[in-house]
Amino acid sequence: MKPYLVLGCDRSASRALADLCRTGYVLPDEVEYRTLPCSGSLDVLYILRAFEQGFERVLVLSCNDDACRSLDGSRRAAQRSARARTLLSEVGVNPRCVSFRQISPTMAADLCIWLDEFVQPLPAEAEPEKAE
Amino acid sequence: MIVAERKPIAELTSRLAPYRRILVVGCNTCVAVCSAGGAKEVAVTSALLRIALGREHPETRVDETCVERQCEVEMNAELAPSLGNYEVILSMACGVGVQTLAEQFNTAVVIPALNTKFMGRPEGLGEWSERCAGCGNCVLERYAGVCPITRCSKNLLNGPCGGSANGRCEVDPERLPCAWQLIYDRWVALGQLDRYLTNEPAKDWSSSLHGGPRRIQREDIR
Repeated sequence: MKPYLVLGCDRSASRALADLCRTGYVLPDEVEYRTLPCSGSLDVLYILRAFEQGFERVLVLSCNDDACRSLDGSRRAAQRSARARTLLSEVGVNPRCVSFRQISPTMAADLCIWLDEFVQPLPAEAEPEKAE
Repeated sequence: MIVAERKPIAELTSRLAPYRRILVVGCNTCVAVCSAGGAKEVAVTSALLRIALGREHPETRVDETCVERQCEVEMNAELAPSLGNYEVILSMACGVGVQTLAEQFNTAVVIPALNTKFMGRPEGLGEWSERCAGCGNCVLERYAGVCPITRCSKNLLNGPCGGSANGRCEVDPERLPCAWQLIYDRWVALGQLDRYLTNEPAKDWSSSLHGGPRRIQREDIR
């Protein structure tokens, strides 16, 4: 079972990934990539089910604002990712396990950096300050 | 419609901790419309419970289903054959649905997953507001169609109070319009401002819940 899941919009992320792979880049072994027809089709349940299945982190890649062919898809994906973070934090999952980024088909270099970051361990959460 | 919201997952997991076979039952009517207990919310809540409860007890089974109206015994009958497979029912209906399940299946443990809030209406996406307190003796006609019992923070039947400023209520000026300003504006729009001067006598609350549990019997349709 791969621990990291990337949900990418077909119109932007998948094209950037294809571009990146043409340079010889290979997706890290621990990452599974799934294409969404539009990031607006992302449902909170997709993300929750991923954690249920055993994924440890989810990265949602959506089109840039104003570049979504469904007009509202990117905004909806951002909202639903935020909702998933809130729900998961209710059951003790670090909300930073769900990331959301916006991308265009020409951002292969950025995608390479983001994927590298995505497989790095999450930084330890800051301890809440103790009251004197 | 009846408006409700889900209890925090931590509260649900603490109630469900002793059980390993859980059936989450939603209701496809009011609480589905207010996005609290319909099929979608049942799926989300079940997924969260599987994640939370599965950590300590991976053998925990959380199944999900939805009935059309949990407040009607006929609609719940479809649950009966499978109930023997579960130790507990988590009801995602309003309090009426929870009680109906508990009455109908009197050997089943039924736990409420929602807090039933009020009778209200949607104000827009993701927002609902209270509109009716079910007082049992509707007086809307005397208030130009604006209910002072639910919409005035002080439930004043003769108003406004001194806390009305610029059409807003002092209790929460950002969110709450003054109900009495709304009543005034409606009387003006209807050309019946003289009715604003009518003094209402004290209301008889015996028709409300204060008069004890209520029941309606219609002999003509029994």
